[in-house]
Amino acid sequence: MSRQTENLKQTTTRLACAVGVGAVLLGLVGPWASAHTQPNEHEAPAPRVSRGDAESVRQSTGEIGRRIARASPGDTLIISAGIYREHLRIDKPLIIIADGRVVIDGGGSGDIVEITSPDVTLRGFVIRNTGIDLDKENAAIRVTSPRAIIEHNTLEDILFGIDLREAPDSRVAFNHIGGKRLDTARRGDGLRLWRSDRSVVEGNTIHDGRDAILWYSKGIVVRDNTGYDCRYGLHLMFSDDVTITGNEFSRNSVGIYLMYSTGVEIVGNRLLRNRGPSGYGIGLKETDQFSVRDNLIVGNRSGVYIDGSPFTDKRPGEFTRNTIAYNDIGFTFLPSARGNELTENNFIDNIDQVAVAGRGSLEANRFWKGERGNFWSDYTGYDQNGDGIGDFIHESQTLFENMMDKEPKLRLFLFSPAQQAIEFVGRAVPAVRPEAKFIDEVPLMAPAPLLNNVSEASVSAGVAALGLAMSGAGAAIVIGGRGVCPFISLLTLARERRAARRPVGALP
Amino acid sequence: MQTTVSLTSPLSRPPHTLVTVAWIGVRELKDAIGTRWFTLYTLAFAALGLGVSFVSASGSGGSGLSGFGRTSAGLINLVLLVVPLMALSAGAASIASDRERGMLAYLLAQPVTPVELLLGKFVGLAVALLACILLGLGLCAMVVGFKGGALNASSIAWLAGLSFLLALGMLGTGMLISVVTRRASVATGTAVFIWLVLVFGTDLALMAGTLTFRLRIEELFALSLINPLQVFKMWSLHAIDSTLDVLGPAALYAVEEHGESLHAIFGLCLSAWILAPLTLACVLFSRKGVS
Repeated sequence: MSRQTENLKQTTTRLACAVGVGAVLLGLVGPWASAHTQPNEHEAPAPRVSRGDAESVRQSTGEIGRRIARASPGDTLIISAGIYREHLRIDKPLIIIADGRVVIDGGGSGDIVEITSPDVTLRGFVIRNTGIDLDKENAAIRVTSPRAIIEHNTLEDILFGIDLREAPDSRVAFNHIGGKRLDTARRGDGLRLWRSDRSVVEGNTIHDGRDAILWYSKGIVVRDNTGYDCRYGLHLMFSDDVTITGNEFSRNSVGIYLMYSTGVEIVGNRLLRNRGPSGYGIGLKETDQFSVRDNLIVGNRSGVYIDGSPFTDKRPGEFTRNTIAYNDIGFTFLPSARGNELTENNFIDNIDQVAVAGRGSLEANRFWKGERGNFWSDYTGYDQNGDGIGDFIHESQTLFENMMDKEPKLRLFLFSPAQQAIEFVGRAVPAVRPEAKFIDEVPLMAPAPLLNNVSEASVSAGVAALGLAMSGAGAAIVIGGRGVCPFISLLTLARERRAARRPVGALP
Repeated sequence: MQTTVSLTSPLSRPPHTLVTVAWIGVRELKDAIGTRWFTLYTLAFAALGLGVSFVSASGSGGSGLSGFGRTSAGLINLVLLVVPLMALSAGAASIASDRERGMLAYLLAQPVTPVELLLGKFVGLAVALLACILLGLGLCAMVVGFKGGALNASSIAWLAGLSFLLALGMLGTGMLISVVTRRASVATGTAVFIWLVLVFGTDLALMAGTLTFRLRIEELFALSLINPLQVFKMWSLHAIDSTLDVLGPAALYAVEEHGESLHAIFGLCLSAWILAPLTLACVLFSRKGVS
């Protein structure tokens, strides 16, 4: 009987506890859940309302729109400074130039400028505030006709920036394109060329966008542009005969990503600190007949990433005089990569100079040609006859690197003393020494000079001052501790107390 | 011999605990700075640090590129090797050698409780270690600053602070060893063994585990948090570089999964390594006392 009541008691207590916990959870989660669902309900209708407004603006057309309507083909329109809230459609060949700061504000909806006529020039405008509809690809400037010239415009707070659709022979130059700060999945492309052959993209700055992307466009020149904080700084899809020179892509997920393109020249670009799960300076996926020369590739997760390139054996993949420095991995080859030739490149202090992902081999790629090898900062040989070429071959065979290539998880132990222990064992014990990953028979003793201007490392007064302060503090503790300088007030305090108390045996 | 003299002391009122701790700390600091190990370790740490800074700053082969990550990697490596050894051996020598010399009985005959004595020694040695770290890394920072390395001031400050936390953890562990063992030589031997285990043993074991048991990345990351040296390494890389992708998939997972709370996780791990051994040492020491 008493056991039954005991059981009953236990059950009720448990039940009460469960209910209590449930109530507390409900109390906690309820407001949280509602707080998280409410904004979504509010968010959805908001753009619809403003789109309705925008529709009316567009129908009544603003001042620029009226001037475009009145102009005859070939006219030049000078627009005076001011803020114009309107959406433009340019349907005749005109030259439209901003005089001073002319802002065209899209009011957060739709596209802003649409160019449907060939031979339109748009210069010097500030165009801002597109919609955020990814399905409709809201763009600041959309061109659907050939030979457009889009120059010196500033695009702010936009989903897609400049969108060229079947607009060959166009010129996009010196524009500043800043995307909306959305997370990557919701962003649009800062610049997109779709079937726009022979266009020139020059001197633009693109940031906070998804990609600057070329689709099915032949003979494009991409020159002196800057891209940062995007997904891909420059992205080629099925675009042939493209020349990419003098650009700087930094802090993107990938600097330049080439996919399924043929005949690409990448010369004299700077690819800096492109990081993250992809994190390539230059990525080549099934790209053919390419040449990568004189680029500066620094601080990326992987400087160059090669997947199935070159795609055919028509021409070897050429990598010449690039400086690949301080990347986590200099070159990553997927096992499928074959037929690349690396000469006169500077491999400087990449944590892993060359890696083969998985269990592939580098046999089908060459790391020297004739008398021209590469500079390897980890080369241990010497040059007795002084011809600038190391007297011994350079072969990469570090045990830990090999282990990392096969099992990337082991990178977690980089820089730990255990890594050095393994390297040491790999060097000392021939039985576990791995086979050479690759061989450079004529390694260079000195790095090839950089054609790219690199800012010299400068003296940092702040760091030096901090160092001085730190060592000063350290020295002060040492000197003070030795009792030369009785600055530690605690010491005197303790002494006073001791004097007051006069304990039996004084401490030494 | 009674452990706590304060109970039987003829004095009317024992001094305040903090004063006692500070007083013992100052005395310990003075002692520590006078010893050979302190001079030796400080010189070795500073010299190696200077070497690392010089070599990594000039390793760019005259191309003018500054050694991104190279200097910090070298310094982290150096700290990983030297600081735990220094702190462990300092801690291990503290109580055991006093006990061996009969100093412990003498000290505890004063109006001092064992916990006060232990904490005082901890504080004193901690300040001595701080001095050593500041001297060593300060000299490195001066070299890096003048040679124009890639480390900025906040990175150096982070590195110094985290090294100090690591030193505190290892010091506590060392003192625990010191309390438990009876002879100074045994204590030092144990400390060196523990150092070997932490520096090489756990990492090698975890590597072997990764390869044989095909650990998933989240398991690997969680296991690596056990080793305070790994925590220090990951935390300083995260603080200096603001990413962890150099450490591969497991670290990428950690950053994706935990984001900014990684700092808190690392902090928790290191604090556990400071507090747990120290508390245990206090408990054992007040129970065990002089014997």
